[in-house]
Amino acid sequence: MKSKRSMLLSALLLTAMILSACAAPAAQPAAQPAAGGEQAAAPAGAVNLQLMGWASSDAENVRLQEVVDGWNAANPDIQVSLNLVPDYDTKLQTSLAGGAPPDIFYVDSFRLPDLAAASALLPIGDKMTNVDDFYPSLRAAFTVDDVFYCPPKDFSTLALEYNTDLFDAAGLEYPTADWTWDDLRAAAEKLTNKETGVVGFSINPDFARWIAFLYQAGGEVANADFSAMTLDSPEALQAMEFYVGLVRDGFAAPASDLDSGWPGEAFGKGRAAMTMEGNWIVPYLKDQFPDLKYGITELPAGPGGKATMAFTVCYGVAANGKNTDAATKVVDYLTSPEGMKAWTDLGLAMPTRQSLREGWLAQYPNLEPMLNGADYARKWQFRPGFGDVLDTINAGLQEAFTGVKTAQAVLSEAQSVGEQVLAR
Amino acid sequence: MATGIKQQDRQDAIAGWGFMTPALILFAVFVFIPIFFAIYFSFTDWNGISPPTEAKFVGFENFRVLLFEDGIRRADFFKALKNTAYFSLGVVPAQTALALLLAVVVNQRRLRFKSFFRTAYYFPSITSSIAISMLFLFLYQKNGLVNQVLQTITFGAWEPIAWMADPRGLFHIIFGWFGLTLETAPAWMQANVLSLSVWDWLSGPSVALMGIMLLNTWTTIGTMMVIFLAALQDVPREVYEAAEMDGANARQIFFKITLPLVRPTLFFVVTLGLIGTFQVFDQVYVMSSGGPAKTTLTVAYLVYRNGFTNSQMGLAAAIALLLFVIIFTLTLVQRRITEGKKE
Repeated sequence: MKSKRSMLLSALLLTAMILSACAAPAAQPAAQPAAGGEQAAAPAGAVNLQLMGWASSDAENVRLQEVVDGWNAANPDIQVSLNLVPDYDTKLQTSLAGGAPPDIFYVDSFRLPDLAAASALLPIGDKMTNVDDFYPSLRAAFTVDDVFYCPPKDFSTLALEYNTDLFDAAGLEYPTADWTWDDLRAAAEKLTNKETGVVGFSINPDFARWIAFLYQAGGEVANADFSAMTLDSPEALQAMEFYVGLVRDGFAAPASDLDSGWPGEAFGKGRAAMTMEGNWIVPYLKDQFPDLKYGITELPAGPGGKATMAFTVCYGVAANGKNTDAATKVVDYLTSPEGMKAWTDLGLAMPTRQSLREGWLAQYPNLEPMLNGADYARKWQFRPGFGDVLDTINAGLQEAFTGVKTAQAVLSEAQSVGEQVLAR
Repeated sequence: MATGIKQQDRQDAIAGWGFMTPALILFAVFVFIPIFFAIYFSFTDWNGISPPTEAKFVGFENFRVLLFEDGIRRADFFKALKNTAYFSLGVVPAQTALALLLAVVVNQRRLRFKSFFRTAYYFPSITSSIAISMLFLFLYQKNGLVNQVLQTITFGAWEPIAWMADPRGLFHIIFGWFGLTLETAPAWMQANVLSLSVWDWLSGPSVALMGIMLLNTWTTIGTMMVIFLAALQDVPREVYEAAEMDGANARQIFFKITLPLVRPTLFFVVTLGLIGTFQVFDQVYVMSSGGPAKTTLTVAYLVYRNGFTNSQMGLAAAIALLLFVIIFTLTLVQRRITEGKKE
């Protein structure tokens, strides 16, 4: 009898323990500043906002925390806590769907159409200080159907990086901003050395790189209002054949053929004399390959002129957030000349305001080719559901690189998938 | 007396329910409710971003698109199904046979360092799958260990390949030895069946997928071995002794005694393997993201991709539901087969 009672008791205890274990995390403060630093106790009546983003390098995380701390010290009535999370897209999507989104969050330009279509974003772009100061190409990257959703926090563009030692050894002139496709191909051919295992150029089977060549050829992914795909154009074919041809002829190679995880690594290891990456390669090379001697210049021009890609992220404000006015104020500060200068002075990403251009260039003159790209950069953004087209082109490029598929076949498949996506 | 028993029965029942409550609550919260919602969402056009209450009910639209509408979504679904099937066909027999072999070996009474081997074989199963996948990425590089070993044992004849970037299918490579390529393939191979050409269906696992298959086999053998080991230790020693007295050799003992006696466990291991391989996700997520050329795109990864990067949560839920139906059917079929042999 006694043992029965104690059994019952222990069963109840077990239940209670498990239930309390489930409930425990809710009692903890939900947001922790990821970059360290004690959060100052907020005064009573203050609005508390959460800023969610993805974690980058330590230097960037710490700098962003400093910028936020600066705001908190000056604005006791609006306190912002920074929450940098791993697996960001999944986290953001579940918190949006769950109806409790962070007040301010990063939005990548590629992801914007999906979020805009789901009415998840409050359009705050036009409420920012001196809107015309943002580069038009970057404003366009956060504009869908003529609505400017959110101000760009910073940006990167693709440029051509070249290994000066390898160019010297081959007796070649360094690349310049006046280069054309022919110059690129000729140099890549001369720099390729079967003996040493060095190729002239490292490019991955990646839509986000090939598309720069598409625009340089004068091609387009779709027409202006996305009512029809235009990947079946002769320009697109020319760009595809040039890009794939470099690899098939052995003058260029993807990172995997050069024992590397990405082209930047192959370039750092000296296995590729050139590559085309954005600003992110600069701190990476400094950190991993400090002895590498290299230069940066603008991407070569194609038959259709110059083009590069701008990769950018904005501060979005949740449409169904509780304190959207306060959140808008914070975003305005973060992207104001003052707030943006504090952030971009780190030199990792570039300021999106034209008024900050000269001051930034004085600090980082070697990154001028990347900043120049802002004048002719195209946005990395399409329509909702374009992930299917992206996957199809990436898969097609991979097959074309190994010779399984022709450039023409890759494009006709992408054209057909794009038409299906636009028809949805 | 009678009331005493009744009272005890009731107390037993209360205690029983009491003990089950924690598990039931956890089951309801983390299994039953999510399954219910997944089924519900598979009939909606939910994008995964807006609040679920705004999702529109679309009936069987998602299933129609996946099964009957010629297009990229059906092509991707059947491509993923094809990859997963090749994955399963390769991994399940390999892991079952090797696990049984290892279990028989480490079950020998006269084996020295028995516990060392048992631990060593089990070790991959308890190590973080993400960490192992990262490690294998290095092993599979062009100048990685796998290529180096192959080069050594073939005296330099092996041409190093970048395993995880190679989309060529195993059967396509073999066809190529006999001069059969996409260009020379007969017309029936070019025909489309369920949005994929027959030629594509017959690709076999790609080199990249085989890399993941090898890794998956290696990491799951340990667990399967432990299950077999438990079964083997349940076989009475007298049976073996009797067989030895009758002059049975090692081969006969294995096929006539060990195998029949562990058959229920064999069914269990094959079922676990089947379910596990049809749900493979983490290694694909870490090592290849479905590439190269979608040849490592598995059904579980397709669910993730549609739900979280393509904003088609309704479609993702429908794929998950179809995956459930497929696994369920396969398990039933497989049970029928194993039971049939039992006579």
